[in-house]
Amino acid sequence: MQRTSLAVNDTAVIGRLIIDEPASGSWNMAVDAAILEALSPDSVPTLRFYRWARPTLSLGYFQALSDRSKHRESAGIDVVRRATGGGAIVHDRELTYSLTIATPTQRTGAVSWLYQRVHQCVISALATSGLHASRFGSSASDERRPVTSRPVSTGAEPFLCFQRRTEEDLIVSGYKVLGSAQRRGKHGVLQHGSLLLQASSFAPQLPGLLELAKSTGAELSTGISTEVARMLNCTWKKDVLNAEERVLATSIEQRRFGNANWVGAK
Amino acid sequence: MSREPSSLLYAKTHEWVDLAEDGGEKIATVGISAFAIELLTDLVYMDIPSVGTKVTAGEEFGEVESVKAVSPLYSPVDGEIVEVHAGLPDNLEALKGDPYQFGWIIKVKLSSESALSSLLDHAAYEKQCSEQA
Repeated sequence: MQRTSLAVNDTAVIGRLIIDEPASGSWNMAVDAAILEALSPDSVPTLRFYRWARPTLSLGYFQALSDRSKHRESAGIDVVRRATGGGAIVHDRELTYSLTIATPTQRTGAVSWLYQRVHQCVISALATSGLHASRFGSSASDERRPVTSRPVSTGAEPFLCFQRRTEEDLIVSGYKVLGSAQRRGKHGVLQHGSLLLQASSFAPQLPGLLELAKSTGAELSTGISTEVARMLNCTWKKDVLNAEERVLATSIEQRRFGNANWVGAK
Repeated sequence: MSREPSSLLYAKTHEWVDLAEDGGEKIATVGISAFAIELLTDLVYMDIPSVGTKVTAGEEFGEVESVKAVSPLYSPVDGEIVEVHAGLPDNLEALKGDPYQFGWIIKVKLSSESALSSLLDHAAYEKQCSEQA
């Protein structure tokens, strides 16, 4: 059985809750990577919510930079490469989260329970706001129809993450509104994801909660953090990056996410 | 000659090592174990470095993307890559069926043997896997 509680001797762990100001795509990605790299086996979980200073296209880790030509609407905006895989995302009118936790053993591959539980937390937080979302894997048959908007890629997989489907993706009225991806580190795992609040003019084919359910998504970060704390049996203490993480993020941004050669290397 | 899992060494991070001598040099052939491939489920991409790259035991030498996760590949040894399995990233389906023959990833000329003492034999690795299963 997979461990989901971080409590030791029934004493709730105090996790870190970081709510960042809008920043560039390269800094946002570098911060997530730095939190993962700075993990030690006994680190507490870090839940981070962040925003984007400018609309930004993030490529999945293995996507070719040249593939962005497949999506004309986002052609002029900033581009960054994520540390995680999957399809490209236009980060504009969304709520972005990352959750980084230490894992006790040397495993590899996806941490399935983390996907399932975090997405269940988002379903619960949306329900509190009167919104019905469901896992793609458990959606009614009419909601499981493939992409209702026209895919922008003719390849095996659509270019955009939100036009792909996996079992744990969250669906509202047949459209994907939340997708997450993970990266393993030496001592833990990073999971980050995007909840579409509103269609972006740079990805008009992807509706958000506003178009689908007339919801602005206000206060959703509070609801999600409450649900994730319950799921991990922890409480949150507001925090910022520590000195080690900040130095690491600056270095990672220079070497990787903010380095045009690195972004364009695939 | 077939490569038997029981005769290999293993890193705790699930890479296998097949040691051989070639012209007085110790060469380690490295791949990932059947247990790791099972955990990774469907592999979609793999990145491996080029010949000449220096690797350090315990540090990343490549990455693999499975459904929903990117996972590092850690070098089990210290040395320099002298050969890469260039056809592997385009044939990841075959890796699942044959992780120990077709699935080799890199060959490393050892610069030091000090990391070898940290590797597990097959029985110890099996024990670790059963504890993680």
